[in-house]
Amino acid sequence: MGIGNPLLCDDGVGLRVAFELKDRVDQPEVTIMETGIAGLALLDLLVGYDRAIIIDAIQTIDGKAGHIYRLDTQAFDAARHTVSQHDIDFTTALEFGKKLGLSLPKQIIIFAIEASDVRTFIEECTPEVQKAIPICVELVLQELKKG
Amino acid sequence: MKKITIDPITRLEGHGKIEIFLNDAGEVENTYFQIPELRGFEKFCEGRLAEDMPQITQRICGVCPEAHHMAATKALDDVFHVDPPSAAKKLRELFYSSFYVTDHTTHFYILAGPDFVMGPEAPVAERNILGVIAKVGLELGGAVIKTRMQNHRIIQMLGGRAVHPVFGLPGGVSKGLNEDERKEVEQIAKDSVEFAKLSLKVFDDIVLKNKEYLDMVLSDAYTHHTYYMGLVDEKNRVNFYDGKVRVVDPDGKEFVKYSPKEYLDNVAEHVEPWTYVKIPYLKKVGWKGFVDGKDSGVFRATPLSRLNAADGMATPLAQAEYERFFSTLGGKPVHQTLATHWARLVELLYAAERLLELSKDPEITSPNIRTIPTAKPDEGVGIVEAPRGTLTHHYITDENGIIKKANLIVATVNNVAAISMSVNKAAKALIKPGKKITEGLLNRIEMAWRPYDPCFGCATHTLPGQAAMEVVIYNSKGEVVDRLHR
Repeated sequence: MGIGNPLLCDDGVGLRVAFELKDRVDQPEVTIMETGIAGLALLDLLVGYDRAIIIDAIQTIDGKAGHIYRLDTQAFDAARHTVSQHDIDFTTALEFGKKLGLSLPKQIIIFAIEASDVRTFIEECTPEVQKAIPICVELVLQELKKG
Repeated sequence: MKKITIDPITRLEGHGKIEIFLNDAGEVENTYFQIPELRGFEKFCEGRLAEDMPQITQRICGVCPEAHHMAATKALDDVFHVDPPSAAKKLRELFYSSFYVTDHTTHFYILAGPDFVMGPEAPVAERNILGVIAKVGLELGGAVIKTRMQNHRIIQMLGGRAVHPVFGLPGGVSKGLNEDERKEVEQIAKDSVEFAKLSLKVFDDIVLKNKEYLDMVLSDAYTHHTYYMGLVDEKNRVNFYDGKVRVVDPDGKEFVKYSPKEYLDNVAEHVEPWTYVKIPYLKKVGWKGFVDGKDSGVFRATPLSRLNAADGMATPLAQAEYERFFSTLGGKPVHQTLATHWARLVELLYAAERLLELSKDPEITSPNIRTIPTAKPDEGVGIVEAPRGTLTHHYITDENGIIKKANLIVATVNNVAAISMSVNKAAKALIKPGKKITEGLLNRIEMAWRPYDPCFGCATHTLPGQAAMEVVIYNSKGEVVDRLHR
């Protein structure tokens, strides 16, 4: 699942990775989604799947544009009470869904690509982030092979 | 001068910033409400096909794509001088009512609810939806999820996908409903009406029956006497999808009622040196600064504003609740910002009832859903009520339908002056010399703007470890003397 805004420069990098994956993945049991949402709405989309790989943009303090981080939900858990609660954050949404007994993926991996510009309306990524796209595609393919 | 910074605002899409300046005595001197700048959207639209605007503009943010989609679609009707068939208008309104049910539900339970259910000064770790369901019960949490999913199903049914629909076209819509789908919509609508009634009961039990909360809602710290704006139908009842924009003065009397095309005669924009946002105000009253009252052109466009600006609701249960709302809060207009949460629930009930009405309309399964435009495109304005306030899209095209100019006045921007004033007033009432600035106190200041639910349409994410809410206190030399993390 690629998440982002395709009109907002590097914010859309997750969508571009998902788009590339459409031509590279032929397993019928794998669904490739492109979306622009977060929180509870994300929960709605994850219901019914066994595993999820999410590809998203991220901005970290002193982060280097184009760097790719592989995170699991534990990494978000660790800091849940120190990070911002936009709408409802992803971890809280997941915990909420679990409490309600929703059928959510047993494993969720997040590939987060460090973004440089997420404030300019333009339909392409900055060069550093652009370079990360094929690398991230390979990482997702390897992740899929793990089964 | 001492400076306190709250950045970013929690529980909002995108990052906002509140700066509170203290004087040497430790009292609040002034506050500034900052919205992050998204550069060049209007320029980005120029040179594109007008009919792409419903797809492009709905990507402004992840919160209310349907509102932009619908405002853009209506602007296109106007650009191409085409009147959609009656069934198409009803399908658009049905779609839009579903969207309202999802959006208002999310706001109340996820954003507003925790302050009241858990308490404004409850530990931040508990003041969220998990705390709410721990206290109110899992069953209600399940109902929230079910209502959202069911209504997203309607959006997907008509829009082709649950997010970023492909539905509105100049002169109509891309897809109608067959009888099986109609039946499904009708059932979802019935469930949504029950859910809205339940939500109003929750509000009643938790807020209205709690004297401390009711006193807080009615307190001066959260009150402003402003003009109110909202879309109304021909009988001056609240309408989200269509009608004229009505503005009432702080006494509740109609000040003006105008058609979308006349918006520039009625709304002007003021420029301040400290923000890139152009602040809208009522042109015929004039900009008098960040002050309320009849002489100030500051207006509000929120769920509360819509109730104030109308004479009633178009559905029976919502109308009864509308009357109870005003009789409980001391008559029209209601100026208490925190009452916006209740107003939102009255609207939730209206949206669900309207959805049900439309699902039973004999015309709703009509295949006549599109009038093909034949006139030369030139210029058009589309106005809808977004959940967070009046939303205006204005396009000028060349004769081939290529966008030459696009102007958008989004819901949150309408409210920038009022939000600044609300935060300033709450900060002045709550921050006192010598009083410790706690997280709970800052949350009470946040509560002054949460009813507006400002939406910055900026969706980047932060890594663990980064402080989300930080308060920095500077002394008069600009040195940091205290720092507070959430």
